[in-house]
Amino acid sequence: MASQNDRPAIPDGELVVRMVGRDERALGDLYDRHGAPVYSLALAIVGERADAEEVVVDSFGQAWRTAEQFDPARGSVTAWLATITRTRALDLVRARGRRARALTRAAVGNSEGLAAPIAAAGEAPDRGVERQEARRLVERSLAELSEAQRRVIELAYFAGLTQTEIAAELQEPLGTVKTRMRAGLEKLRGSLVPLLSRGES
Amino acid sequence: MTDHRWRELAAAYALGALDPEERVRFEAHLVDCATCRAEVQGFREVGGLLAYAAPAAAPPRTVRERILRAARPVRPIGARRGLILPWLAAAASVVFALLAGNAYRHERAAREQASRALAAAQDSVAGRDSLLATLLSPDAGTAGLAATGQPPSARLFWIPSRHRVVMAVYRLPPAPAGRTYQLWAIAQGKPVSLGIFNTAPDGSLRAVMNAPPDLAFQVAAVTEEPAGGSPQPTQQPFLIGKLAGGD
Repeated sequence: MASQNDRPAIPDGELVVRMVGRDERALGDLYDRHGAPVYSLALAIVGERADAEEVVVDSFGQAWRTAEQFDPARGSVTAWLATITRTRALDLVRARGRRARALTRAAVGNSEGLAAPIAAAGEAPDRGVERQEARRLVERSLAELSEAQRRVIELAYFAGLTQTEIAAELQEPLGTVKTRMRAGLEKLRGSLVPLLSRGES
Repeated sequence: MTDHRWRELAAAYALGALDPEERVRFEAHLVDCATCRAEVQGFREVGGLLAYAAPAAAPPRTVRERILRAARPVRPIGARRGLILPWLAAAASVVFALLAGNAYRHERAAREQASRALAAAQDSVAGRDSLLATLLSPDAGTAGLAATGQPPSARLFWIPSRHRVVMAVYRLPPAPAGRTYQLWAIAQGKPVSLGIFNTAPDGSLRAVMNAPPDLAFQVAAVTEEPAGGSPQPTQQPFLIGKLAGGD
């Protein structure tokens, strides 16, 4: 992601390479770039601020310790961090024996889905221009899905449910859930092409 | 299953939404199928971007500090940490000494100041390092203090060479108003105060206390005393433990 900083932006992948070399400043830069979306993701899953902070600290800690396992040929830093964060956030929710925040919201039947703000008092909007663009495009792309498609994707992504669990949750046939999820994600992949092709740098 | 059918699983797999059995079979297939691997990778990128579907929230500033602090390797006090941390570490030792000294005086203001400073020191990295350095002393002995059938417990580390006791307390509710906890070393059957302490609202405490020089003891105990502590215990100890190891 390009930044609004005055110094030329170092590509995400390069920051991770520097982290392998135990460059703490690179870790700080990576956090400055991705900390807010990672925190937002964690908060959407765990629901509690203190838990979300825990997840963010743990996730960047894991990124720091396992930086050498990151392979740019196999995906972007954004996807890598999102995977780490989702895994840790969902683990924490399970460890607490709680339902993910997303599931609670879905159960309430919020028709606006997850993209609707969770009571967001005092939360700063994203600063990076590119990040705002990315957010807008993702929101627009999700809005283009059918309500049913969006619901199954959100339950999988933010609540960590498998397709069978989603079918049970929504009381829909498993085949229907599978079809909706696949169709929805394929449509998303199509509309997110501008962001996906931008790659790492 | 045809190739086409496998590919249909890629999207759900990338989101971790396949059921366990299906996932295992798909992963076995992935080993041999570059097409499906590329498909999974593509959907994993979509998953990365889906993080932006979460409502925007800003983490508190402290998160960044915690991440960087956790990344730093643990070093002995004063080694390559800049100027301020050794200074803090020195302050922490002074604070601990103050606290122990005040167990015998009853100056409320000084005590409050000391406990505030102690709390601050415990929160600082330097406080942590000081604990660590103390615990790593080769002659450290340890005692587990357990209450009979009661939830609170404490672990004590006694480092004779440094005249220092490090104490970790668990599940002990803070002392009631006007009361305090006091740690005693039982030397030749006689209690010697090691200092007063109180726990955090969550019932925990980590503290370093200075012991009188040349103190030798095998048993430690905790009593509840009037605020400020007592020269000698006024109650039966509710935590008591025997020292193991050490010099």
